[in-house]
Amino acid sequence: MKCGFCISACPVYREELVESAVARGKNQLVRGLLSGELDLTRELEERLDKCTLCKTCTQNCPAGVQIPSVIIAARADKVRHRGIRFPYNVVYRSILPRRILFGRVVRAAGLAQKLFFPKGEGTLRHLPLILSGLGKGRRIPEVASHFLRESVKEVNSPPAGTPVKLRAGYMTGCMTDYVFPDLGIKLIQFLTRNGVEVVVPRKQGCCGAPVYMGAGDFETGRKMADANVAAFGDLDFVIVDCATCGSAMQDYARYLADNEQREKLYSEFGKKVIHITAFLVDILHLPSEAYQAAPDVRGKRVTWHDPCHLNRHMGVQEQPRQILKSISGIKFVEMSEPDRCCGMAGAFSLHFYELSRKIVDRKIASIVASGADIVASGCPGCEIQLMDAISRHKLPVKVMHIMELLQ
Amino acid sequence: MLDQAIARKLKSIVGEENLLLEKEDLLTYSYDATNIWIHMPDAVVLPRTTSQVSSVMKLANEYKIPVTPRGGGTNVSGGSIPIKGGIVLCTTRMNRILSINKATLVAEVETGVVMQEFNQILAQEGLFYPPDPQSAAGCTVGGTVAENASGPYGLKYGVTKQYLLGLEVVLANGDVARLGGITIKNRMGYELTTLFAGSEGTLGIITRITVKLLPLPRAQRTMLAVFDSTETAGEAVSRIIGRGILPAKIEFVDNWFLRRMEEITHLGLPVEAEALLLIQSDGDIESADREIQQIITICRDIGAREARAAADEIEANKLWQGRRSAFSAVYSSAPSVLSEDITVPRDKLPDLIKRCNEIGKKHGFPIHMVGHAGDGNLHPAVLTDIRDKENFSRASRVIEEMIEAALELGGVLSGEHGIGLEKQRFMARAMDPVALRIMKEIKHLLDPNGILNPGKYWEDRGVDHHRGEEIQGNRTFSQGS
Repeated sequence: MKCGFCISACPVYREELVESAVARGKNQLVRGLLSGELDLTRELEERLDKCTLCKTCTQNCPAGVQIPSVIIAARADKVRHRGIRFPYNVVYRSILPRRILFGRVVRAAGLAQKLFFPKGEGTLRHLPLILSGLGKGRRIPEVASHFLRESVKEVNSPPAGTPVKLRAGYMTGCMTDYVFPDLGIKLIQFLTRNGVEVVVPRKQGCCGAPVYMGAGDFETGRKMADANVAAFGDLDFVIVDCATCGSAMQDYARYLADNEQREKLYSEFGKKVIHITAFLVDILHLPSEAYQAAPDVRGKRVTWHDPCHLNRHMGVQEQPRQILKSISGIKFVEMSEPDRCCGMAGAFSLHFYELSRKIVDRKIASIVASGADIVASGCPGCEIQLMDAISRHKLPVKVMHIMELLQ
Repeated sequence: MLDQAIARKLKSIVGEENLLLEKEDLLTYSYDATNIWIHMPDAVVLPRTTSQVSSVMKLANEYKIPVTPRGGGTNVSGGSIPIKGGIVLCTTRMNRILSINKATLVAEVETGVVMQEFNQILAQEGLFYPPDPQSAAGCTVGGTVAENASGPYGLKYGVTKQYLLGLEVVLANGDVARLGGITIKNRMGYELTTLFAGSEGTLGIITRITVKLLPLPRAQRTMLAVFDSTETAGEAVSRIIGRGILPAKIEFVDNWFLRRMEEITHLGLPVEAEALLLIQSDGDIESADREIQQIITICRDIGAREARAAADEIEANKLWQGRRSAFSAVYSSAPSVLSEDITVPRDKLPDLIKRCNEIGKKHGFPIHMVGHAGDGNLHPAVLTDIRDKENFSRASRVIEEMIEAALELGGVLSGEHGIGLEKQRFMARAMDPVALRIMKEIKHLLDPNGILNPGKYWEDRGVDHHRGEEIQGNRTFSQGS
């Protein structure tokens, strides 16, 4: 397929305007690699890495070609052949899979952040990015002084007098755990108040997205998937507030299953994974009265940014909008191109920071044009990207997770 | 390989970031949207200004380096493939919309503006630019001028050349020419502007384009009509036009295409239909509704199994989305696809469909058909595999006979896809020899060294590489999808 209908859809192409940026070009590069016409050079690697996996190409492809899968597969192939570059290999192979060690590294990064970097506006600071030490002056939120899982119990029951309607697991995700613990606390409180017993399994780890989707390290990814599947055991729901975690876990079966047993295990697990907004709307069927604006957002105009992993990967578009329209006390406004990629895409924004900035600047223009005071989203990854850009442009817009809007 | 000194000069003209020399980049400029030809360029330049284009052309002309212009690379004729190597001059980084004048209904754009984005911005002003090649999501405005492109809207609104008011073009020697102007009427000298419409990059590099616009129609209505035979569907088209009704679009889709489209899109298309007509009326609400009703009556009278308006906008969008997938539907069906673009006078469409079916039967090749029926423009496709010599040569014969049939019916080789590599072997047969001679003289006048998109348009055996095994030099033909 070489029709090129993906051209105007691709956020990377839109900035680079070269064929290797777009799905059609990448597809041909992978074919060149498979046919032996191209070698696995650094140049080829870099071109395949220049993809946010936003899936907009697939959405616009008349033949439904799954370019993101091709890219992930090619990345995996690359890892098999030559490994991942230092220092990423240390991070992906040794640190991320081990939760406690990862926590220590994050904490050390947090200390370094306090010691070596001046305090920026609000709570944002210049900081070499936690995972890689290659933040290039990015302003991101500082590491929390208390991690989420140090602050909450393993089993969180509804308050006395509220009957237990459902029992659900909560995958906190690294960002919420280490950077936005208040979001996690709020989410747990909201759920328990609405009759959900929230279990935060202690043995859960990183979802594996940066490891297997970003870096193509399937072997390590499989270990992480096994750990998470075991951690959530027989819980019927695995709630995520992070769309990236959610889509990575839904896709375990697609990418990581290497035998029938894992195939079965991963598919069953994938079906349990649900984004918090979908859980509230489709499972709990909360009435609109349940959604009350938190005091600090009352009277504000709020717009919604569709995270790619939520919208195109997890297929959740309407639920967050339904919640936003239900929250009494705020005004929901739609921005133009709400589903365009923000350019974060994990390690992508580290490898290609300048490009990532150009992509997010278009998003910022949409947000500004919408006249919103707050841009809400459902993925801490996108939020960090948006915070960085908004801070860079010194705009009076706040970035919040949709759950933070609720009382 | 490009000479090092030339590479250095190119770099000094466009800057390092606008010059691609790595194999990994060159490969991505070795193809277009067809799946028969592939050829690697030696360099790709992505100029940002007209003066950079001019400098590149001066250099190329001095050293006689082939230059193949390219926009989005979505063309379906082989036209943007650098079949002689050399430089691909890609215009995608010249992508500013320079002006949209609502008072005069005129816009000026740089050549690399993506068609769909242009129309999205115009829509915010209540305007539109009608030429609608189905590749709008990827093709550039400059590319549509070079190909004189069109699509379903051709029926009511015409083709690209009818919207061209002015052009800025860079000639082979680097001279910059401004042709036409910004007025709707302009009777100064020869029509040089339209000369470049359909020139396929052989006469110059189009850098700026001035076009006229239309106000967006207030209402659009879609209908569908299901027929038990392709020929009856063709007759329905002739009868609609014959009654003096000119809807915005009349699209024809046969059963094979319908099934393939449904397979890849899952839109719920009426796959049981032997042939489907998809029709759109533009106007105000009353006139569009009235026109649709008239067409429904005509279709029923002629024996349509079903003829009805789309239930709502959602169904209408689905039907058109299905239609847009036709290209993918066919090109993803076989290792090699020969998709034709023959066009006959509108009233000869039923004859053309009939002849194509007969030719297919004779050679044992099913002919799959989709087309802009209202324009008499049919895209019959033959699925083959270029690696299977016997099969491929039989498929090529089918194509030849279909083209022959179209010409006999007073038609042309290509309605909108252009000549490129795909149709050059038929040019001498299809064109008046004097007209062909004038064309060659124009080409020689504007590009005496023959550096602009060489190897295209006319067949020049011995120097030319074309279809099939002859092009194995640099990179061979593609192996399908």
